[in-house]
Parts: sequence; C-alpha cells; structure tokens
Amino acid sequence: MNLLRKLYKKKKNMRTVVIGLDGVPYTMLKDMADRQIIPKMKSLFDNGYIGPLEVTIPEISSVSWSSFMTGEQAGKHGIFGFIDIAPESFNLYFPNFSNLKCIPFWNAPDLVQKKAVVINMPATYPAQEINGALISGFVAIDLASAVYPKSLLPKLHEIGYRIDLDLNKCRHDHDYLFEDLKLTLKKRELAIDYLWKEIDWNLFMVVITGTDRLMHFLWDAYGNESHIYHQDFIDYFKEIDALVGRIYDRFSNLSGDGAPNRFYMLSDHGFTKIEYEVYLNQFLKNCGYLTFKQQRPDTIMEIGEGAKAFALDPSRVYINLKGKYPAGTVDQADLFTVREEIKSALEGLVSPSGDPIIKRIYRKEELYHGQCLNQAPDLVILSKHGYDLKGKVNGTEVFGHSGLQGMHTQNDAFFFSETGVACQKIFNVKNAIIESFQGN
Amino acid sequence: MNFNNPKKNLELSLNDKIELAKTIIKSAIQRFPQNQLYLAWTGGKDSTTMLWLYREVTRELKIEMPESIFIDEGDTFDEISTHVDQIRNKWNIRIEIVKNTDVSDKANTIGAHINVSDLNKRNQMEIKKIGFSEKHFPFDPESYVGNHLMKTVPMNIFIETHNVSALSTAIRWDEQDARKEEDYFSPRKSPDHMRIHPILHFKERDIWDLTHKNNIPFCSLYYRGYRSLGTKGSTHTVSDLPAWEQDLENSPERLGRNQGKEEIMGQLRALGYM
Repeated sequence: MNLLRKLYKKKKNMRTVVIGLDGVPYTMLKDMADRQIIPKMKSLFDNGYIGPLEVTIPEISSVSWSSFMTGEQAGKHGIFGFIDIAPESFNLYFPNFSNLKCIPFWNAPDLVQKKAVVINMPATYPAQEINGALISGFVAIDLASAVYPKSLLPKLHEIGYRIDLDLNKCRHDHDYLFEDLKLTLKKRELAIDYLWKEIDWNLFMVVITGTDRLMHFLWDAYGNESHIYHQDFIDYFKEIDALVGRIYDRFSNLSGDGAPNRFYMLSDHGFTKIEYEVYLNQFLKNCGYLTFKQQRPDTIMEIGEGAKAFALDPSRVYINLKGKYPAGTVDQADLFTVREEIKSALEGLVSPSGDPIIKRIYRKEELYHGQCLNQAPDLVILSKHGYDLKGKVNGTEVFGHSGLQGMHTQNDAFFFSETGVACQKIFNVKNAIIESFQGN
Repeated sequence: MNFNNPKKNLELSLNDKIELAKTIIKSAIQRFPQNQLYLAWTGGKDSTTMLWLYREVTRELKIEMPESIFIDEGDTFDEISTHVDQIRNKWNIRIEIVKNTDVSDKANTIGAHINVSDLNKRNQMEIKKIGFSEKHFPFDPESYVGNHLMKTVPMNIFIETHNVSALSTAIRWDEQDARKEEDYFSPRKSPDHMRIHPILHFKERDIWDLTHKNNIPFCSLYYRGYRSLGTKGSTHTVSDLPAWEQDLENSPERLGRNQGKEEIMGQLRALGYM
C-alpha cells in the first residue's frame, strides 16, 4: 500500500518566491529592523540568513539585475550600463532586454519546464517569451511591449497598472512623490494578487523599485528626524514591510505537498548620501584627455579632435581607440600606456576638501571576460561612499550637485534566505535559487 | 463596401488583401488629379510594396504612375539610397527628394550642436510651435525636435508648395498601436490634404510573402537582420537572421528602432543617468 501510494503520489509542486527591493542597503534594513519599523521583515530575518551582498561594478540596476538573472558578469551578458555607445557610429543607445546575451535563469533548461511569474524586474524590457508571465521593469516605456503574454494587457489596463513613477515630476514635487509611490505600490500589489492566483507558478518574483526612487530623491529624509518628509520616508518602508508580510503569509499558507518551498529577498545595490557628484568628463577635459566640438556640448557624441578618453555614466572610462571609434586617436600600440596614465591621473582625484575619493580603479580585464569584452569600458572606477561618478558633459566644474540626494553603493546590498543559505555576491544568487529546484 | 474593418481585413487571404489594396488605389486615382497625388516612399519594405501595387494598377489601367517623394532626414543608410536608385531605374519612377537643408547644413554629424537662432524663420517658428524653448539642440532626426524639423516640416512644405491634395503612405495597422485608429482615407489639416493608406491591413508577414512571391527588390539591410528601417543612427539589428526568418508574430517589429529614445532619456535623466 505504501509503495502504491508512493507510485501514485502527485508530482511535487515546489514554490519559490523572490522579492527584490531595489537599492535597499543591508545596513538600512538592519537599522529599521532593530528599530521595529519593519516588524514583518524583522521576524523573517530573525529566522533565516540575512547579510550584505556585493553587487556588480558599476553598481546600477540594469547591470546588477542582469547579473542576478543570468549569474554572469557584463563581459558575458553584455549589459554594461543604462547607456552605451555604438563604436562604429559613436551614437548613444540604450541597451535593453534584447541586448542581453545570456539566458535569464527562468528560461534556462533547468527551469523552463517550471512556470514563472516575473513582475517589474528592471532590464527586462521589451518583454520576451516566458513559461508563465512577465511584466518588464525600468526602463519600460510602453506597457504593450512590457507584457508577456499580451493577453494580460487588458487586465493590467483594468487595474491601472503603473510600471514606474512619473519620475520627472516626482524628482521636483516631493508631495507628489509620496502619492505616486503609494499609488504605484498599490497597483503593483494588484498585479501580484492577480498573477498569484491566475498562474500555477513554481517561481514568483517581484521587484519593488519605488525604494530606489525615494532614496535618489530624498535620502536626507531617512536619517534626519526633523526633515519634513522623514515620517513619509519611514511610512513608505512600513508599507513595503506590510506588503512583504502579506506575500509571506500567503506563501506560508500554500498547501504543502511535501516539496520544500523557498523564500528569498535581495537588493541590487545599496544607497548612501551624496557628498558630491563627480563629473569625470570635466576632469578628463581639465587633464587634456578630452575635447569637444562645441564649448557646451549636449552629449558625448560631440567628442572633438584629439580626444584620448571619455566617460559614460556611471564611472566608466573608455580610451578613444583608433580603428574602434570614428574619431579615435590612440594607437593600439599605445593603448596600455595611455590607459595607465589616465588611471594614475584618476587615482589622484581628491574632493574639494582634500579627501581621496577613489576606492579602486579596475582595468577592463580585471572585471570582465567573455564574448562582449570588446564592448567593455577600459577602466571602471569604484568610488568611496558619497562620491557619485557621473558622465555629464555640459558643465564646467569637476564637483557639483544636481539635486539628487542619494547614490548607489556596491558592497551594501542585502541577501535574505529563509533556509539559512548564505550568498555574498549577486553572481551566486541565481545558483542558490536554482539549486533549491534540483530534484523537484 | 465597409473598407475599414481592421479585425476582418487583417485576417483576409493575401490575394484578397492585394485586391482590397488595389481597390483603394483605384479609388484614390479616380478621386484625385494625377498631378496632385503623391506616394511617400522611404525605401523600406512597406512603401516599396505600396509602390509595386500602384505600379500594378497603373499598368493595368495604362496610365502614368503618380510621382513619389522621398524625405532625406539627413542620416540615411547608404544601403537605402542604393536600393531607391535601383528601383527608380528599374521601374522608371519619378521621384522628388526633399530635405530640410537649412537644418542639416548646420550639422556635420549626428549629435552636432545647432543654435535655434541660426535657423530660418520657418524652422524657428516650427520649433516654437512644438513647445521647444531651449536655445540649442543636438542634431538627431529621431529626437523630438529633429523628427519634426527633418520629417514633418519638409513634407508639409512640399505639400504646401506643390499643390498636393493627396499623399499615399504605407502605414499598417499591426505595426504599432498608434496606427490602430487610422482609416484608408484619413483627411489631414494644416496643410489640408488627404492621407491614403492602401496597405493598412497587411501584416508584416504578408509584406514578406508578397515581396518574395513577386520578386520585389528589397533593401539589403533586411537580409542582415534589420526588421524596420529608420535613420542610420537609431536603427539596430535585433537578430542575425534575415527579417522574414525571424519570429515576426511574437516580437515587436520596431524593436530595433530606438523609437522611445526621448522618453527613455527623460526617465534616465530624472534619476541622474545622462
């Protein structure tokens, strides 16, 4: 009888949930948990593993989430930033999901038989085929192209789904920022509710991106209790906590049919206060490495004659190589000499008050390997917390402010697993998740 | 005859689609004087198909082919120019090339800096009209200002100065959402003229089926994986396969067109990434 029961036993239907909190630092979560601001998450953290997570360099969402979903670095997956330059024409373009050169793990052979729901994952626009459902996240400009399968579109219209905040308005109008944060979160939850029930999933992933927006625009409101938006800032995280709690409660109520269910959370980078924005192109210009055709260029595409190097947002420096770029000036034979010279110059960068701002400068081959190596920046700079390295072209000063308050950090993202499995690098998260599926 | 029934017409057989397009073309030819009807030709697969259909009809009726206009946006692929020249000679097409040289002469390259005050009155007025208030802009035919100056303005000037009463273009319902509301005959204001859309009901697959079946020449870029052609600087391949071998039904046709560029830049700028 036992044998028969075993033979006829229903196939195990294992469920894995992954919640992404874009840009949320480990240190902030610890602080908020200790202060009972996020009680639901605290009780999760108390009963599992939570620790800091190192992410990609540069530490931005499109690169980091692409590494999360493929387990690879940019030399293989091909996403080096939100902006890139086409070498043959020197035109700027915006790498998107169709430029991703590796398969996201939900489409990999191990998992493709399992049904997956992916909601608001950055760098997945335009939406592509998935065994389940996908709603793309930032940068996704047209909902119709951000949804797979297309048959979900009427439902998303009906619930008034929002991909992102009205960023341009929210940056300047902070009252509106909180309205929009709440509204967008509410709509996100409606999509979660719908797909949770609609699809018989094995893997359910959702990323909350409002956290990143809030910290870019209003980081100062977090630590300063007299800030007029301090309470709103805290309240938004309480709402996130309540949402995580609702998802977790529902997750724990899933009928256990013997298969282990798994619950993970992570962020794609941390955050800290901006002391200064650092305009790398202005620095290169001051050192004589960069010229422009115009006195006040609008974009890097106006690079001038004799330029040896240029920078793209954030923290990526490229040598203007002859034969690679239309106005290339540096001979292949001189590439490494010029690169070392520029690296030394950058290493000497100090803040207006004389503090060193560079943590480490990586040469291309120290960070990247793989089929996309040729596309990679020649140098990538990791700055000390507080110094936000920008690719802006149209200023006159090396240091300045643009009105943004928060910047990303590379070593202060977080990873949580309910099972106690630890993970220190974003490249390894994929395997941690996939392993839990093995044999099920 | 109920022409405008997207649902029904999109599902017709290829032969019925061709017949419907020819009926629309015949009706346009009857309605508008021969020298006031123009065909907008970009060198792309759709407008070349439209041109071929006009050629079939006019040969059947033994009348002269309407003249074509080609808008040079200032960043045209060489492969498109070559293709246009070949067809023009092969089919003996009369073609007017229009270009907003007042703008393009001030830019050596894409991205070059143009001062609004250096432009002629008409261009300055047009810039004001679309609500752009900066003193300068980078030259890029796919940007908001660039698109208006390099496509809309020269076309409107041509319509105004050549007494054009009808312009036939090759837009299709299934190409993008913005086309969904279009009709076979759509009157336009300022300047007043009729837009004629004979291949609205063709799907991307139909265009390739028709092209291959009738040996209609096409631009070599499609062979190299481009699916939809725009300016050189804004168009990318999305696959290494020839356009017609790609999964046309399940991936967006204009994927390689960087069309939301302005909007993407706006969002990135708000978060400090530009």
